[in-house]
Amino acid sequence: MSAEFDPNAIQGNIVRGYGIHHVRYLMLEVTDRKAAREFLVASLNGENPNVPIIQRETEWEENPEVCFNISLTFPGLQALGVSKKNLATFPIEFRDGMASRALKIGDFGDSAPTKWAPPFDEPDRIHLIASIYSDSEEHLDKVQTQVAEAFNILGTRDGRDLAKSKVVFGYVDSISQPKFKGIHDKSQNKNDELLDPLGTILLGYPTRMEGVYFGIPSPSELGFNGSFNAFRVLSQDASGFENFLTEAAEFLLKHPNLKDVLPPGGARQVGKGFSRKTALREIVAAQIVGRWRNGVPYELSPDTMEPDPKVSLTNFDYNRNSRCPVGAHMRRCNPRGGPIVQRVANLTRRIVRRGMSYGPDFDPKNPDDRERGLLGNFLGANLGAQFEAVMYDWLNLGLQHPDITGSNDPLLGANSVDTSWFDMTTRTGGKIRLHGLPRFVVCRGGAYTFLPSIAAINYLSQLKN
Amino acid sequence: MSNEESWFGRFVDTLPTKGWFKFLSKYVVTPYWLWKDPKPKLPGGPRVSSQPSDNVQRMMNLIMPLKDPSEIGKARAVMAIAQNVDEIFGGLDNVGTVHFARFVILGDKLCMISVYDGDFSNYIRDFIVTVGSVFDAIMAEIEGGSALIPTEQNVEAFIEWVHEHDLFQAPDFPTELFTLQDQAKGIGPDGPVHDLSTLPRNLVLQFHSNPDISLGGGYRAYPGFSAAQIREKLGVGW
Repeated sequence: MSAEFDPNAIQGNIVRGYGIHHVRYLMLEVTDRKAAREFLVASLNGENPNVPIIQRETEWEENPEVCFNISLTFPGLQALGVSKKNLATFPIEFRDGMASRALKIGDFGDSAPTKWAPPFDEPDRIHLIASIYSDSEEHLDKVQTQVAEAFNILGTRDGRDLAKSKVVFGYVDSISQPKFKGIHDKSQNKNDELLDPLGTILLGYPTRMEGVYFGIPSPSELGFNGSFNAFRVLSQDASGFENFLTEAAEFLLKHPNLKDVLPPGGARQVGKGFSRKTALREIVAAQIVGRWRNGVPYELSPDTMEPDPKVSLTNFDYNRNSRCPVGAHMRRCNPRGGPIVQRVANLTRRIVRRGMSYGPDFDPKNPDDRERGLLGNFLGANLGAQFEAVMYDWLNLGLQHPDITGSNDPLLGANSVDTSWFDMTTRTGGKIRLHGLPRFVVCRGGAYTFLPSIAAINYLSQLKN
Repeated sequence: MSNEESWFGRFVDTLPTKGWFKFLSKYVVTPYWLWKDPKPKLPGGPRVSSQPSDNVQRMMNLIMPLKDPSEIGKARAVMAIAQNVDEIFGGLDNVGTVHFARFVILGDKLCMISVYDGDFSNYIRDFIVTVGSVFDAIMAEIEGGSALIPTEQNVEAFIEWVHEHDLFQAPDFPTELFTLQDQAKGIGPDGPVHDLSTLPRNLVLQFHSNPDISLGGGYRAYPGFSAAQIREKLGVGW
């Protein structure tokens, strides 16, 4: 079943990022099956100048000006005419769709699909999600106009990289991603983590679980070399987060064990020119995520965000005496080789994250409540074994470690102020529990999509019924 | 069922004991209603909850029809398990989220009954990853099991099969049955309101699609704790 990997066989936005800083997602409905199929034909052969070409996974010297890729939802495969028999070979979570799996992935309360923003409030009408990557607005508009000729555009979403690779909450992000053997991703040059097998992200290759292959939907032209994506519009409450950091710092300032978190005179060691309150805010921020906001991993540098000598951003592991809290966002989502309850699951639930921010910049000195957040893509060969497994068991239940079971992820979890808690670690091996974390991240919409290989796009374009 | 102290009320209350009425219910009324208001099969296993404590200590009642339900066939199933018992216990231990698990042969079925934490798919997947070969040996004795061997290469299909053969758990709050039956028909929470007096009928009809069910989520002596939390408290390591 295992095969040689051919980069030309897959779309270019799967095993690595483009390094382009702007994206536009188009949520598309197939209203004319014939027009849609003709569009797909042209997107592969490039013979029609009015149809954008699907960007393949090939190395290039200079970044292309525009990259175009597509993904399909389950209703999308139906709309393009995939037979019932073949549709049934897709995994259940994909067939159900993201909205139907809401409870499992924490999308309830304000994140419930009934409250999603259009067009995500009508999940059955979203058939394709196309992405246009380009740093030129003109290109984005041009491709959008071309796509509109063949599909009904239900909605669009624009994303961009924020300055200094930061996300809305002020952290440097995308430091660590799964890396794959034989794939050269420039953005991951400094990442010295273990290589992941291709089966982590593509169908048809060995996975991290010995002997286990994820099922390839039929026919193999359609399924092989495919991948799945959880596309999510996640609004991020930056001012709520900053307020919580202030509250937590004020709580710690009055705490009897304050010296175990920040010894007298220790603020300037945490960061240059920090007051005690600023230092405490940043310690809380670092423990919540597992990285200081400048990207330095808390595990390797628990006392300062400016370690001297510098530490690796990626080469570390957790253990039973880790200073990085078990409940820290990054450790919950990726416990690395650290101790977890599900002993066989270490390193098996890796997710490739590709996201860009949306909405206006946030200025912590001049906070506002306008909607902003992340357009996130969470990719993997199996949504159930990767995305959902992480969202349910690890992020929102804390099953991986008895000390956090029953609590939600401090940053991303479905928290409510009355019941939420997060245990900080102290220098002396103790814990200080913070309460009252609100829900900082609310889902505004999303879809499970299938990222077809080039052969699969060809297959879909040739369907006759 | 009538509370009215009228002759008619007393008459209605005696009906369920009357032979002719039982006959009528079984052979006329039930088939009529099954035709008029068929109930789709309700999915098995515990339901996901937004409440973390409800997502630990969940029950699985996996009911697997034996390929050969004769005395010899049952003995073969026993052999398949007996020869792998160390692997099964080791595997469950490594999965880390299992409180209890046991096998029962009941009639022509092999049952695996267990209590686990968190997500059902993760539990089954991790179990396959640890001791896939054991499940292969068991599935060889089960009706429809051959198509799923080797389970390591049919992970998704195997998980779905197990889910289909996990007993439906009747809700602890009886009226929730209405909601579940509506969901199975694709009717949302805004659908028509149900008359409470129709609950018995809806339960009777459900038995047609789910002949075997689990009554509720089961008794828990210590609700809301994971296996690892208990092991940690007991100091036996997790």
